Amino acid sequence: MRDGGVVLGGRTIWRNATFAVEPATITAVLGPNASGKSTLLNLILGLVPLSGGSLRVFGEEPHRGNRRVGYMPQSRTADSTSTMTGRDYVGLGFDGPRFGWGRDKTKREVIRRALAVTGTTSFCDQPLHSLSGGQRQRIALAHATVFSPELLLLDEPLAALDLAAQAEIVDLINLIRDTTGAAVIVVAHDLNPLASIVNQVLWIARRQVRSGSVDEVVNESVLSELYGHPIEIIVTPRGRRVIVGLEEEFAHPHPHPHPQGFTHAEEPHEHLSEVYEEETS
Amino acid sequence: MSLSDLLSTSFVQHAFYAVTAVALAAGAVGYFVVLRRQAFAAHAIGHVGFAGAAGAVLIGLSPIVGLLVFCLGAGLLIGIGGASLDESDAVVGVTLTAALGLGVLFISLYSGYANATYSILFGQILGVTWDDVGLVAALSLGVLLVVSLSYRPLLFASVDAQSAAARGLSIRAMSLLFMALLAITTVVAIQIVGVLLVFSLLVAPAAAAEVLTSRPLRATTLAMAIALGSAWVGLFLGVWIGGPVSFWITALAASSYLGARLFDRNRVRHVRRPLA
Repeated sequence: MRDGGVVLGGRTIWRNATFAVEPATITAVLGPNASGKSTLLNLILGLVPLSGGSLRVFGEEPHRGNRRVGYMPQSRTADSTSTMTGRDYVGLGFDGPRFGWGRDKTKREVIRRALAVTGTTSFCDQPLHSLSGGQRQRIALAHATVFSPELLLLDEPLAALDLAAQAEIVDLINLIRDTTGAAVIVVAHDLNPLASIVNQVLWIARRQVRSGSVDEVVNESVLSELYGHPIEIIVTPRGRRVIVGLEEEFAHPHPHPHPQGFTHAEEPHEHLSEVYEEETS
Repeated sequence: MSLSDLLSTSFVQHAFYAVTAVALAAGAVGYFVVLRRQAFAAHAIGHVGFAGAAGAVLIGLSPIVGLLVFCLGAGLLIGIGGASLDESDAVVGVTLTAALGLGVLFISLYSGYANATYSILFGQILGVTWDDVGLVAALSLGVLLVVSLSYRPLLFASVDAQSAAARGLSIRAMSLLFMALLAITTVVAIQIVGVLLVFSLLVAPAAAAEVLTSRPLRATTLAMAIALGSAWVGLFLGVWIGGPVSFWITALAASSYLGARLFDRNRVRHVRRPLA
């Protein structure tokens, strides 16, 4: 994207964004609620128009229905109430948009592979509503990666997951990047769970977008300038960043699992690795 | 007149063809009504149809013409106004109330209303003309054809609108398509069970099927089978024992839902999935 901007309903969401996403890299999109993080994904998907500058997706104008782009939305209508099985939902990723009677013979094999890669084979025949949050996210990742997309867009894949499930999903995102060479763009509200796998950060705040490596963007001078007031960053001995000075930005009328947004400092880290090992062994 | 004589009369035979076609269409469309949690919209369309039917009778047309015009109009209005499923409740509620008021006006203007009103509200399948039966069957088969051709996109747009939009489906177009299908199905179902009992064919069988299976295609087929079973047995009981056919169909469809829930409760108690 070069000098890209977006205006929705007469309101400038953000402007002058310039960045590129390389294959086999992971880009985290961070920033306060309603700063336009999901809007960035919608631009790439061709769901909202760019109002200035230019955006190329694999050298083309963004357009809907591009199979080279995989997408996992944040809220999926069916998830918590649907009696549909995970396998059926993944199947919709394959031929959901297709009208007509015919059945593609390769479908079964393609679905089987997507389920295997995401480690969902064992529970894919259960209804979605009976699955845990982490299992549902894995199914949703299988859905988004059915066609082995070269660009994978994930909107808040870690939202509302406990730490163990977050670690599993982060691991899976990393695995997909490594095995398929896909460029991954992850919208998140907390950098820490993703920090170990992220190559690039896009920080959106106050209608501006900053991009660069984690150290280039998530530092006191860049964030202070972006927010217009002093921001302090405390790096814990384990390398997690606690960002101080964003409290107002995250004041939000709705209840939110992480009101401070950027730290789980109160949670013992050892616990994470223990649970994580249990879950993956 | 013996039972076999009754069953071979032309009006029972006509009714048989009509309920067969209607039950299949209602079962299939009903699955999407349940999946999209749009039972309220189905309810409203039926009531709007009441105004249309009353209006048509008032100006001397067949009620089905008024039903078609009003139900389709209401369906498209709900489809446009509430394309995003979240905000449709208010749109549906206002449409419903306005139409019911209109229906009351039409009825008060029409002098010989009692009989016509009764059959619109509660169904009068044994009284429909051969022409109406032909129209009802044709509409039902048309609905089935369209549903089968657009099955996957309808399903996709219903369970994950955002992904479906990203993959190139127009959510608004799918919503309008669904509402049109729902409107036509409501019109034909009203011929059999009437405005007030339209849920018995449209929602109860699909709700029962959704309890029993989590595979969409299986649930759709099962919904059609339950609707068909309720309609056939209901017609038979109405002719054999007496009483309104719409009562029997409603009772059977509701029982099938109740039965499905009881069966599911037992099943869940026995095989609870191990937590991962």
